[in-house]
Amino acid sequence: MLALLFILFAGLAVGCAISMVVQRNPLYSAISLIGVFISLACLYVTLAAPFIAAVQVIVYAGAIMVLVVFVIMLLNVEEEDRAPLRLRSLVPISVGLAAVLFAETAFIIFFVHQSPATPASGLSDVGLTASIGAGLFTTYLLPFEITSILLLMAVVGAMTLARSGGLLPGKALVVPGYQVLAQEILDPSTTPDLAPIVERSSTEIEHELGVTGEPNTNDGN
Amino acid sequence: MVPQLSWYLALSAVLFTIGVVGVMIKRNVIAMFMCIELMLNAVNLTFVSFSSFFRDTTGQLFVFIVMTVAAAEAAVGLGIIIAIFRNRESLDVDDESTLKL
Repeated sequence: MLALLFILFAGLAVGCAISMVVQRNPLYSAISLIGVFISLACLYVTLAAPFIAAVQVIVYAGAIMVLVVFVIMLLNVEEEDRAPLRLRSLVPISVGLAAVLFAETAFIIFFVHQSPATPASGLSDVGLTASIGAGLFTTYLLPFEITSILLLMAVVGAMTLARSGGLLPGKALVVPGYQVLAQEILDPSTTPDLAPIVERSSTEIEHELGVTGEPNTNDGN
Repeated sequence: MVPQLSWYLALSAVLFTIGVVGVMIKRNVIAMFMCIELMLNAVNLTFVSFSSFFRDTTGQLFVFIVMTVAAAEAAVGLGIIIAIFRNRESLDVDDESTLKL
């Protein structure tokens, strides 16, 4: 039963992966990649790793691929046209190297002793959310915290990269990693309409406002 | 018949190879990016299968962190792609072989 499921989802994954590489329209490639992700999630379930399977669907097939499809549609990518093959002289070398690689793989498959290990059964708690959480917050706490810093850096970096300069005036000099200099935003020499700042003493202001700075001595009367 | 560990490793190797081939033959930046994601997933499959066959949770924690890195990479990578497209009106890597604008 498990073997049948493995063959089904492995075939689906490999087929979708090949389709992803062969397709020339990036949108079709993205949809094929979603197929790969979902079949891999099903394989994770057969490996008794339900938490990773759920995260695979949510993070990969959900978040990342939505981002990719969004960018494809935003940039309006057209199909790539077939270009002439370059470096044609290297083709025999590549065929030879591929043959060597196949020979190595065949040697490993037929001659290396296979591990007698069996997949974790339902009685094991290896793939459950509780054991993953316990490992994440005890032994691997430092990598977990570093991961959060990495995500923060990614958020800031993505915003810096993708911004088109609409938030700032065109004259403002933006150096990544530095604050925008205030005098670049509001340069008095280029904006002559600004009224000069008038300096007045406090007594003049009191006179203008009609109040007296003297303490009121008539309180008692 | 129960699937052996080597089955999963072979599948992972096949997926990784397809990803490598895709990165080499594709010229669209977004398609290359998706092939890199495929390679990350192949490695994740290796981690999960070892973790399951040897009954050790550590592999799945690695997968969790790899997924986080992949998400961060997606955000920054797509930001870079948008910036490149804004400057050059093209996503062909042959047009972008120099980093100079």
